[in-house]
Amino acid sequence: MGLTIGIDVGGTKIAAGVVDADGTIGARTHRDTPADSVDATAAAIVDAAAELIAAHEVEAVGIGAAGFVSSDRSTVLFAPNLAWRDEPLGARVAEQLKIPVVVENDANAAAWGEFAFGAARAAEHMVCITVGTGIGGGVVIDGELLRGAHGVAAELGHMRVVPGGHRCGCGARGCWEQYASGRALVREGRAQAESGSLAAAQMLSVCGITDPAELTGPMITEAAAAGDPCAMELLEDLGRWLGEGLASIATLFDPSTIVIGGGVSAAKELLMKSAQVAFEKHLPARSNRPHPSFGLAELGNDAGLIGAADLARRPVPVL
Amino acid sequence: MALTQALTIGIDIGGTKVAAGVVDPEGNILDRLRRDTPTKDPRETEDAIAEIVRDLESRHDVIAVGIGAAGFVDGTRSSVLFAPHLAWRHEPLRDAVERRLGVPVVVENDANAAAWSEWRFGGGQGESHLVCVTLGTGIGGAILNDGALQRGKFGIAGEFGHMQVVPGGHRCECGNRGCWEQYASGNALTREARELALSGSPVAHNLLRAAGGDPRKINGPMVTELAKDGDPVAVELLEDVGRWLGIGLANLAAALDPGTFVIGGGVSDAGELLLAPAREAFKRTLTGRGFRPEARIVRAVLGPEAGMVGAADLAREEATWLRRVRVKTTAVTAKTAAARGRSTRVERAARKSAARRTGLRAASAESAVELDDSEA
Ligand SMILES: [Zn+2]
Ligand SMILES: [Zn+2]
Repeated sequence: MGLTIGIDVGGTKIAAGVVDADGTIGARTHRDTPADSVDATAAAIVDAAAELIAAHEVEAVGIGAAGFVSSDRSTVLFAPNLAWRDEPLGARVAEQLKIPVVVENDANAAAWGEFAFGAARAAEHMVCITVGTGIGGGVVIDGELLRGAHGVAAELGHMRVVPGGHRCGCGARGCWEQYASGRALVREGRAQAESGSLAAAQMLSVCGITDPAELTGPMITEAAAAGDPCAMELLEDLGRWLGEGLASIATLFDPSTIVIGGGVSAAKELLMKSAQVAFEKHLPARSNRPHPSFGLAELGNDAGLIGAADLARRPVPVL
Repeated sequence: MALTQALTIGIDIGGTKVAAGVVDPEGNILDRLRRDTPTKDPRETEDAIAEIVRDLESRHDVIAVGIGAAGFVDGTRSSVLFAPHLAWRHEPLRDAVERRLGVPVVVENDANAAAWSEWRFGGGQGESHLVCVTLGTGIGGAILNDGALQRGKFGIAGEFGHMQVVPGGHRCECGNRGCWEQYASGNALTREARELALSGSPVAHNLLRAAGGDPRKINGPMVTELAKDGDPVAVELLEDVGRWLGIGLANLAAALDPGTFVIGGGVSDAGELLLAPAREAFKRTLTGRGFRPEARIVRAVLGPEAGMVGAADLAREEATWLRRVRVKTTAVTAKTAAARGRSTRVERAARKSAARRTGLRAASAESAVELDDSEA
């Protein structure tokens, strides 16, 4: 198969690109996401794809969207940040573009990108987590993406790690993504600053702000890179939660490779070191089993786009 | 003899007993034997296995032997990497037993073997995405997608019992704290019951009486019996374990999204006393509940012999596959094929037939056929 289009539908931006069989992106385009309107979002996706189709010979379109995608790889059952509820997105877009369209969960698409062309190229069994505002998960077993019985597998960010813990947007409490995501980093940083701690006050001044509410994840990451002790502690805590959670996940899937991507992974060394230490420490029966390798994602923000494009090459299951 | 009617032997190696049975292709057990497990020396265990098999072979014509063992079994299903209750460390069990017996031997994790039989003959029949949870002393787990056991890279996937559910919680023999099996297993039930009785609370009166007044003599089956008779405290104890079960299952649903959970093992004898609170907690803690299809939670139907039957059936699959290879080619010996990882091939075949049954994944089934042919 020749070229396919990958589309990554984010909360603010729709990124589209023409991708070849080696995972290389050719032409690109993007649109703003009209988050509150189902019709406008579908129209923006069609518009972006049509622009690329007009200039390239394309055989299929893959869409990565945040949310539960049903196992027909077409219907979005539920999207936390967009107005989709049982939305037949794939069919809708395919009808207008007149080419095959496949819809995948965005974290699955990113995981597939890393598996096919990125950090896990050589692996057969991979767990990939995308740590951004929340945590997205993707799992590859024996070279195949795990979708589950209903298409909603690998929602790893919503595994419960603390009984009765922080509330989560998914309706549960104590989900992993409330402890090991960018949102958790900012929440803890702000709480630290609001507590009046001197260390946190110093961190705010390193970040060049006075109001704790202005604190962001990238600010903390930068302050940590500059050696600010409070920011470093915050990232270490985050890394510890990441590592502990990954140890539990490794007991389920026994992967050969664990890949960590997403915005927070920009804080590379500090975070990864702390995550790996916690992971090794919490892996059950750790001295009596092989350990998986642990690595950073390689495709950056393009992982979802590339993965969605590649998944579009693979046949849609007949239901 | 037609392979479809051939008999195999399934062996379940527990911490204290070795149980063996002759099993037919429909999963019926035709003959049984039991021995104590000699835990000290792996050789002695292997001898005990060989002895049992020879005994059964003297009365039945069997073509292969399957062994289900508690512990980490490696990806090629030949070695036991680690067994918590036995003295095995990197023990090449398959080859050692094959040498003694001269028939094909398959070694499988006991929870995987039990899950396989539930999928073939029990509560998981026809389920494309099955997760089995065995509640015994600890918690065993297995994942079956499209009829293929998921073993992971090193053969040790599905160790659900050691997923952490309480940070800094109860100590576990795996070296961690707060593992699921410290909250939702037979051990957990016993620990909680004993603790309650030790506290001297009058509510534990019936429990204590059943144990002859000694809290240390309280065990799981005792609690289940009392709960079935309506003792409110025993019912509560099972409710607590059931709630932890449901919470853990919700985690597994977030990660694995199965169509069905099959719950087996000794604790599952409590039936709805355990499963009703488990379903309630599952529904209450499931991520995205209300916006997603939910898995069924059902009880295993094959009882304590599921592991034995599953091991025997996996051995049949293996023998059938090996014979096919021998018939097709003399260039590739069975042993070379084994060295190349025969386990995954057997399952690819199973996945293929599952694909035919369900009509799903036609494309991947076809490519599996091609692969099989080119390799044979
Ligand atoms: Zn959640
Ligand atoms: Zn444990």
